[in-house]
Amino acid sequence: MGPPPIVTGLSPNEGAPGTLIKIRGENLGKSPQDLIGLTICGVDCLLAAEWKSENKILAISGPIKGKGDVIVTTQSGGVGSCNVTFKGFHIATIGPMKESAVWVEETEPYSWGRYSLSPSSYQQEDPLGLSVEDTEKKVPEEDLLTYFPNKNGDITSHNFSARWFLLENHQATSFNDLQAGLVHLRRKVQGQKEGQLSFLKANIGAVMDQVDTLVNLKERYEIDLPKVGNEPTLKLEKAIKESEHEARKLFDEVLSRKDRAEKTRNALNVLSRFRFLFCLPCVIDRNVKKGDYDIVINDYIRVKNLFCKTDVPIFKTALNEVEKRITELQIKLHEDLQTMPITVEQQKRLIRYLVNLDAPFDSAWDAIKSRSDYINKKFKLIYNYHKSLDKPDPKTKNGSASKYSKYNKTPNVDITIIPACVNFTDEICISITETFPDLWKVGQAYFSGELQVKVEAGRQVEYKHIVMNVIENFCKFVRASLIPNSLDKGERGQFGSLTLPERDEIALYLPELLHSVRTAYVTLIRLDLPNEALDIVSLLLLDLRIHCMSIMFQQTTEQIKQLTETWKINYNGKFTGVTELPIQFLNLIEGMIQIVKESVLSTELREVGLLENQMAQKEMEKQLNNILTAFHNVLNNLSSSEDYDECENGVVSQLIGTPVSSHKTGSKSNIPIWEHRLLITLSNCLFTKGTVLDMVAEKFQQGGFPSLNTPLNNAKVLLEHLEKSILDKYLEQKSDPLVGTIEPSMYLGRFDWHLTIPPSDIRPYIKECINNLINVHSEIIHISPSLLNAVLPQVVETVAEELFRLMSCVQKFSREGAVQARADISVLQDFLSGYSTEKASNYFQEALDVVPPLDRTDAILVEDILRQCTARMKIQVLCLKRKK
Amino acid sequence: MSKKPTVQPALHKVIMVGSGGVGKSALTLQFMYDEFVEDYEPTKADSYRKKILLDGEEVQIDILDTAGQEDYAAIRDNYFRSGEGFLCIFSITEDESFQATQEFREQILRVKNDDNIPFLLVGNKCDLEEKRKVSFQEAQDRANKWGVPYVETSAKTREHVDKVFYDLMREIRARKKEENKTSNGRGKDKNKKKKLKCCIL
Ligand SMILES: Nc1nc2c(ncn2[C@@H]2O[C@H](COP(=O)(O)OP(=O)(O)O)[C@@H](O)[C@H]2O)c(=O)[nH]1
Ligand SMILES: [Mg+2]
Repeated sequence: MGPPPIVTGLSPNEGAPGTLIKIRGENLGKSPQDLIGLTICGVDCLLAAEWKSENKILAISGPIKGKGDVIVTTQSGGVGSCNVTFKGFHIATIGPMKESAVWVEETEPYSWGRYSLSPSSYQQEDPLGLSVEDTEKKVPEEDLLTYFPNKNGDITSHNFSARWFLLENHQATSFNDLQAGLVHLRRKVQGQKEGQLSFLKANIGAVMDQVDTLVNLKERYEIDLPKVGNEPTLKLEKAIKESEHEARKLFDEVLSRKDRAEKTRNALNVLSRFRFLFCLPCVIDRNVKKGDYDIVINDYIRVKNLFCKTDVPIFKTALNEVEKRITELQIKLHEDLQTMPITVEQQKRLIRYLVNLDAPFDSAWDAIKSRSDYINKKFKLIYNYHKSLDKPDPKTKNGSASKYSKYNKTPNVDITIIPACVNFTDEICISITETFPDLWKVGQAYFSGELQVKVEAGRQVEYKHIVMNVIENFCKFVRASLIPNSLDKGERGQFGSLTLPERDEIALYLPELLHSVRTAYVTLIRLDLPNEALDIVSLLLLDLRIHCMSIMFQQTTEQIKQLTETWKINYNGKFTGVTELPIQFLNLIEGMIQIVKESVLSTELREVGLLENQMAQKEMEKQLNNILTAFHNVLNNLSSSEDYDECENGVVSQLIGTPVSSHKTGSKSNIPIWEHRLLITLSNCLFTKGTVLDMVAEKFQQGGFPSLNTPLNNAKVLLEHLEKSILDKYLEQKSDPLVGTIEPSMYLGRFDWHLTIPPSDIRPYIKECINNLINVHSEIIHISPSLLNAVLPQVVETVAEELFRLMSCVQKFSREGAVQARADISVLQDFLSGYSTEKASNYFQEALDVVPPLDRTDAILVEDILRQCTARMKIQVLCLKRKK
Repeated sequence: MSKKPTVQPALHKVIMVGSGGVGKSALTLQFMYDEFVEDYEPTKADSYRKKILLDGEEVQIDILDTAGQEDYAAIRDNYFRSGEGFLCIFSITEDESFQATQEFREQILRVKNDDNIPFLLVGNKCDLEEKRKVSFQEAQDRANKWGVPYVETSAKTREHVDKVFYDLMREIRARKKEENKTSNGRGKDKNKKKKLKCCIL
């Protein structure tokens, strides 16, 4: 014989009668035929058993009450054992009207009907005649099972165990009570044992009562018969039918309730299985609120994959709900995308979201467009803002000023107020530096495919247009605010009309603005923009630079025009008689060169050298010409203005008695007299022409400017003309009076050449003449010795000419007169020989020739006078001696 | 014939808990009978018991395989009361089943009124790695929080199936030894009462 069967598993382990049970274990039979016995809790269930395998049998539970083993018996192994227990539900607890936690199989009603429905089987009285005690203190059934294996407390059972029964029902009953119970039980048993007769005897009273009752019953029945009729059961039958009908109604209700419960359960199942879908709208709301768009996208994709092809209406509704939210989200994201300001990263992320959500937008393109719109709008905004700050309407200004005029009377332009156009340019440069790179980056990302968006045809061209448009707008705004002339009229109106400040004012800011524009330019260059776009800015820059340079030159011209002469002569240095003026001029130019060099001339990234540009060069030459002309005009003005001392003549004759020249020493001002001023200006001219202009050329060269010979040479020519005119003026001023005094002095005291006065010395008019010349000489020397050679010979020449004219006018010389004349002329000729030009010498000689020739003695006399005179006037001779 | 009959090997009562479909029955059947059931058949309450060798000692394991479905929740209290150790199963392919373990844990603690009840958190279906929804770390974190071990199993490949049952039984055995030491006989009841008082205090 093989090993006995053993049951180790029951599925389920409890149930109402009729439950399908899976019995598992070992050695449960080698075939269906091998299985010869199966009891569950002592009830034979072999009939409904189905052998599956050595390890598995399917069975249906019979009318079981309480717990019990499942015993399998096989031919091959004999009676088996069981590790687990099955628990049958108390039959009364199961029924159509009772609730149950498990589903009761009702399809196959078993024939245990009457057996279990019999009330006696469960409404037994206690056999000991004792009251049933509190159930709470019961010994657990499992413990009883282990104490009494294979037994139970059912008094009707074969396996009844009295101990079990007592422990189960009378654990707390006192011993006395139990004894009494025993007596009761004994009596009962006794009574049954004694047979019918003794039973009757013992109960004669009761039997008689019963007979009486039966007779009573019969009488009653007979009385009732006419009332109720022959068939009293008919009524009963009807009542039963009715109650059956009622029961059915009740039962139907229960059934329908069961159906509903089933449906609810199914719905619950579906709900929990597809909870994801149904919860999704809420989840989306929550995540949208939190900004967890990635999660939303994930969920959305998941739900779409799972349910997009569903035909189930409820799913469709839920899906619609989801779609609605997603559409809202798409719209929101799309709006966010176009709400400026926003970083590129944010935009990229939003675009990614929108793409992932299959949004019906051209998100990337919208991002680009909104950016460019934003930039252009911002330009306009900046413009409007500065326009509003720009010099307010005169009307309103007056209005508001009047309010404060009592306290504060300075409505004049304040230097600290920066002009609107400067602020505007500065800000628009910053604005493009800040905003444009993002536009470009988004564009690059779009076309490089980084945004995972399909690039539509024609977008390249449109994008280029957008970029060019932004840059063009920027340039035009800058042009309109700084160099409106470079725009045509229509554009000027379109891009603004900020007040252009005065030249001096704007000059202060131009280099800085140039720098701002350049910074913006550099930013654009770094972005690797196409040349076409960069060139727009580069052109603007060139124009700005030219403008800036031109303004600098103009400003310098203006400053030069303002230069004033201090008349303080600078005695140090190589050049004498020169004042600060030329050096100031030079300094102004030098300063200008410095600024121009720094701000305009220097070329930065991707800029052309300014002076390689024809226009710029022409403009510069023109402006330099202006500067030089301005300085020339300054000098010219200085030399032509007699206004502040017209009353004086420098040279006067003591002999004739003209008032002594009134050097207003120490009075009023330090301004020197007219002749001095002429001389000073002249020497400035010379200095400028000979030295300063060369220095200017040199500075320009050092500054990296191309050769500027043409304007410089022009200036030199101009200065030469000026020199000449100044010199003429001076000579006119000096020699005219000097020469004019000779004739009256000569004939002073009724002197005449035919009188016979023996000559002993030269005549006073010669001395006067010499003194006057020395005067001129000292004047020049005082201011600039270098002028001596230019001026003095000219004076001498006029003196000689005058002398010749006077001599040739004499009608008759006496002998003495001839001696006198010869001595006079000779002395003058001798004294002035240092500064005599050839022409002067000729005049002297011709004057001598007019005088009649002398004999020997007279000639000696002339020689004597000459000698004495030279000796006496040694100092004068020394004065007029020319230093070589 | 009085108190105890023959000396039976020690009996350890294990209860399988977890949502429906996570593989409680599959694990039980794999452990008991080395078989894997492909089709899904909701359980009501199944009992299994067999003798095994635990570290050389012969013991009996009693497994109560329960229903995970919500509709049986009300009667779970009754089952849990008799359990000495619990395998709390979820499927690593289903997050909801993982979330549900929280509720089971709470119910067990409430019914048993004992924080140290032998308990293992089991992530089943670990052969379906590609469908994993619950990360190992996530589950391990929860187990740490509860102070219980976490093991991943596959009823299909039998990976760690024996381990979870044996580990749980060892814990139950250790628990019982400890209880016998601290108090004789009715210690269990006493312990419970003490705990309750403590809680009230
Ligand atoms: N692949 C795989 N399937 C499993 C595993 N455990 C259970 N299943 C399957 O999951 C379904 C439900 O298993 P079951 O044990 O009835 O779940 P229960 O409700 O927890 O008892 C069945 O179809 C099993 O075949 C496992 O470890 N791996
Ligand atoms: Mg199951």
